[in-house]
Amino acid sequence: MTSRPPRGDGPARVPSELARRFEGVLLWSDSATLAERTARSLGALADAGMAVAYVAPGSVDDLAARLGRLPAEAVPVLVADSRGSGRALVSGTELTVLHGATDEQDAALLTRVGEALVGQLHTFGLQARREPADGTLGRAVIDLAPGSTAPSHTALKRMLHDHGIGGVAGLVEVATDVARAEGIEVARVTVSGSCVVLSLIDTGDIALGAADELWRRGIDPRTLLVLVDGAAWLPHRAVPVVVPDVREATFVLVGARDARDRPGLLSVAGGAAGLRRVLADQLRRRRGRSLPEAVGQPGWTVVTELRSSRAMPDQDVLFALADGRVGSGGPPLAGERGDEGWTVATSVYDGNGPTTHLLAGPVVFPLGPSRRAAPVARLLDLRSGLVHERSGSGSSVVTSVRFLALDRPTTAVLRAEVPTGHRTGPPVRAPRDADSVETGRLAGTRWMRVAGTPGGIAAAGVQTRAVRRTGNPGVEPTRAVVDRVVAVRSGSDAPPPPDAVAAAAIEQAGVGVDRLLASHRRTWADRWEHADVTIEGDERLQSAVRFALFHLMGSVGDAGEAAVGPRGLTGSGYSGHVFWDADAFVLPFLAATHPASARAMLEYRLRRLPAALAAARALGRDGARFPWESARTGEDVTPLSARDRTGRLVPIRTGQLEEHIVAQVALAADTYVEWTGDQAFAAGPLRTLLAGTARYWASRIRVDAEGVGHIFGVIGPDEYHEPVDDNACTNVLARWNLRRAAELLDVDPDGVTPEERARWLELAAGLYDGYDGDTGIYEQFAGFHRLEPLIIAEAAPRRPIAADLLLGPERTHGAQVVKQADVLMLHHLVPDEVVPGSLEPNLRYYEPRTAHGSSLSPAIYASLQARVRNFEPALESLRTAALLDLDDLTGSSSGGLHLATMGGLWQAMAFGFAGLRARSGSLHVEPVLPPQWSGLEVRVRFHGAAVHLRKERARLHLTVDKPTSLVVGRSHHRLGPGTFEFRRRGPDWELMS
Amino acid sequence: MSTVLAAIDNSGQARSVLAVARAVARAFGADVEAVHVTTDGHQSATASADMAGVPLRLVSGDPVEQLVAAASADDVLVVVVGLRDHSAGPRPGGHTVLAVAERTGTPVVVVPPEVDADRAISTILVAVAGDPAETAALRRSVELAEETDLELVVVHVDEEIPRFTDQVQHEVDAYAEEFVARRGPDLRGIRLELRLGAAADEILAAVETERPGLVAVGWPRAGPSDHGDVAREVLAHCRVPVLLVGRTGPV
Repeated sequence: MTSRPPRGDGPARVPSELARRFEGVLLWSDSATLAERTARSLGALADAGMAVAYVAPGSVDDLAARLGRLPAEAVPVLVADSRGSGRALVSGTELTVLHGATDEQDAALLTRVGEALVGQLHTFGLQARREPADGTLGRAVIDLAPGSTAPSHTALKRMLHDHGIGGVAGLVEVATDVARAEGIEVARVTVSGSCVVLSLIDTGDIALGAADELWRRGIDPRTLLVLVDGAAWLPHRAVPVVVPDVREATFVLVGARDARDRPGLLSVAGGAAGLRRVLADQLRRRRGRSLPEAVGQPGWTVVTELRSSRAMPDQDVLFALADGRVGSGGPPLAGERGDEGWTVATSVYDGNGPTTHLLAGPVVFPLGPSRRAAPVARLLDLRSGLVHERSGSGSSVVTSVRFLALDRPTTAVLRAEVPTGHRTGPPVRAPRDADSVETGRLAGTRWMRVAGTPGGIAAAGVQTRAVRRTGNPGVEPTRAVVDRVVAVRSGSDAPPPPDAVAAAAIEQAGVGVDRLLASHRRTWADRWEHADVTIEGDERLQSAVRFALFHLMGSVGDAGEAAVGPRGLTGSGYSGHVFWDADAFVLPFLAATHPASARAMLEYRLRRLPAALAAARALGRDGARFPWESARTGEDVTPLSARDRTGRLVPIRTGQLEEHIVAQVALAADTYVEWTGDQAFAAGPLRTLLAGTARYWASRIRVDAEGVGHIFGVIGPDEYHEPVDDNACTNVLARWNLRRAAELLDVDPDGVTPEERARWLELAAGLYDGYDGDTGIYEQFAGFHRLEPLIIAEAAPRRPIAADLLLGPERTHGAQVVKQADVLMLHHLVPDEVVPGSLEPNLRYYEPRTAHGSSLSPAIYASLQARVRNFEPALESLRTAALLDLDDLTGSSSGGLHLATMGGLWQAMAFGFAGLRARSGSLHVEPVLPPQWSGLEVRVRFHGAAVHLRKERARLHLTVDKPTSLVVGRSHHRLGPGTFEFRRRGPDWELMS
Repeated sequence: MSTVLAAIDNSGQARSVLAVARAVARAFGADVEAVHVTTDGHQSATASADMAGVPLRLVSGDPVEQLVAAASADDVLVVVVGLRDHSAGPRPGGHTVLAVAERTGTPVVVVPPEVDADRAISTILVAVAGDPAETAALRRSVELAEETDLELVVVHVDEEIPRFTDQVQHEVDAYAEEFVARRGPDLRGIRLELRLGAAADEILAAVETERPGLVAVGWPRAGPSDHGDVAREVLAHCRVPVLLVGRTGPV
């Protein structure tokens, strides 16, 4: 449908540098008043989805009052008191205080610094005295001549010289040195009258803090407009805030001040009227449906450019988007394949048994075919979850931005600018090769529904198109702007009704693209706040790690159940079947960063517990046997045969034999509880899962005449050898499972008797694990050491390599060639279940024998090599894992990104390099830093606390926002809230502050 | 109406060439015409053409130049030429055939000496390397097949061992889908057979398994003369007519 044409941008009324769309505006004023018209402009911008911050003198209540009543749907406005006393969000008439005052720790620090400075000044013979707090928090005032009239500047200088202090500059130096000695790295020192004012922050910091807050809300400094009104001055200096260099913002001096001598500073004349003109221009751009600019910070983007129309599916997949419930991707939106794309939804499958596969739902983003598609430039903004795309050239250019709203899962949003002659087609399209598609119109929406067996996916879209007038009619071609909002609904048991999805589409479209964008961006920024990993010294690796985290976050929902296949929601590869990839590789990241998603993954397992119990029963065993591959029902859907890359038909036995997954499910549940401390889960579902899995192992273990327990006929993670007896990985995980169940099920709601617990412990104690005390090596399975001693590190032309294809299955089966970490998975997953000190000998023994022919292997080895400080091989493995999809090392990434490798990559960073481990209510920290990096930061949540680790050479900073039990090195601490510095002292870490 | 041009000489191969040309023409709905370059008489060639009921055009001059000229006519869909046994003629086996294939833009079907010439063509096996330059050759084969009811089987041989084989029951499908997708959406319906090993050996093995009526392989029309080794190897050992599809760049 076509709406009334929006007003065009019109002739430029602002300096050319400002004639662009900004995403945030920071008004920094030194005035205690705000003109009502200016306040209305700010409110209108917030209502149009722009991030607005207002910094001025006065309490946050005063500032909020000056803004007046904001539109109910407006994006909350950030207000900050330029004295540093407060920061708050204003939404409608609501005020949410973010930072009430300088906290107690800051106050204590300033008291200490003030007293130290007084003491230091006494040594110069100055009878200085610390003044009582004046109401401005975050500063200490030391009077050099208490009780006297404030001296003139000249008199002050003379007094200082008389006392051996080199004038005012010397006084500032003394104060700065004292502050640094007390722990304030960047003290703000000013001299006023006879007073030295020492602050943690100054007015510049306040404004920078607001910029920091906007960054935390998803506003990139490059899209931030800072309007400096009055005498306020924003210093251009590095400040210790997380925001990337705020100098990238556009600074504008409003009013009469001359900005010519201020490089990088623009000026707008006309005082308040000039200010409002700038704000009005921004509002006009938003009402004219301008597209946000494609910007991104280094380390926060993935960029590709296609110069031809050649199909590049491995690049297309890099721009897949997901919101935890729905995933969508495809080729460039316009061009030869402008009708194509794909949509999948979690837990919605088609087919039965091994042929069960993710159902392809209605396609939501394509913009219709066009003849001239090349070149195509795409930018994935990882921080904001946006894909910017520009295709074609000259008058045929099509530009767009798209996202799947993270805060409103199942909402697809697109804004595109196209030539007026370009036909974008409907907002929803049928997937390729779909069998059962219904479509129709309802209440102004176009809807489409695809049925699976038995579920379905429905989508309804609202699409508006408006012609944008250009500044030069008849010279520049007119362009059309298309806004598309599509609601997607899915059902795993039945297709959703069209009216419900149409109503959802109308509701979301009513919010508007800009406001949807603002809240989506804010939600992503919030997710990053608790999940980011920062690597200083390797920009490509940095981007790759964030790329992995982005897709890990996007692929797993945080409500209901989450069926996480090996490719997540980034494609339909592996049919969306759920493997141990989910439990062992993906879940730990979510348990440590977004527990609700980990919980949803466990819910998937819990809801399929009846099927697991039935599977065990069918084999004549007790307990719960979780399947190697599962989909909707929880029954095993592993195919029984397949052709390999040589064309040979090979039997697939993982479904029957790869049983370590049973313990992996239990371990995943335990990992969740260790990280979250979720007592309700620990008291209920965890016990249920532990009991079911322990019972399975108890019925699976065979005890020989000598009383030794065995598990015969399994496949371990090393799938080159099958079947094997007493696979160390399987046996030790089963042992852990039995012991953990016995430990936690002392008071049991699941009918576990003391006798059963005792039996579990007895079986665990007697279970063979292949460990040889003389060599310190676990035998991977019974007879492994008798196989051909083929060292694949020497025999293969390179690694990783698919050794089974290099050597043939028979020779591989008869040789000591390992596909991926098997014994060493134990050192990674359950380090307390292996003999202390056994990591290094097993690493030395198994690594050269490992082909790394599984994409899961490199990340685990990176983690383990980091633990033993073998940095070169650790980084080599880390890079392989990091670039697996970005460089399409498997030749199969177009079917979806390797989510387990991504999870493994995070584990390498968090467990390997940062040395984090959640155990028995404490967060253990033992970081290491390769010489190639200058710093490493990891953010996690532990038992509800936000934890920020920063590792530099010999220093470690830990920031926690509430009291937290930490074991740093060998020392236990209960710390928080605050930032705590540790320094390396021999093998341990010493707490400095 | 397009034409299948059968280039025949006076050897016994002429009958096979004509038979294959007729089979190709039936498959593609084309006419057959024969051409003979008279270097040492034309009676045998004329007799073979008469026996096959195919009109014959006689030309004289350098065989390669004449055949390239004849192949360049607008209506010529493919040229069918015979590959004599190494000991059957005065020049090295395949010299003329390869020279024509190198110089003409028209696809060339090479009929090996021991071909089952009377076999109908219902399946074309297209061999493609990993090189994206092969895509044009593959697409051309697909276009030819699409105009007919022929079944198309694509064989891709990787000579390099892959890095990973995660779960073979899914990984091979994922790899195959990307392989096809890279080569364009119009190829998605094709049947892809994956092989690993020496390209020529695996193609010939696939020919034995699939028993196609025609094998299509890429043939470099430009570049160093020592390229096209895979096609030469296939030509040397294949018992099925081989369609050389021109492409640029080496195999």
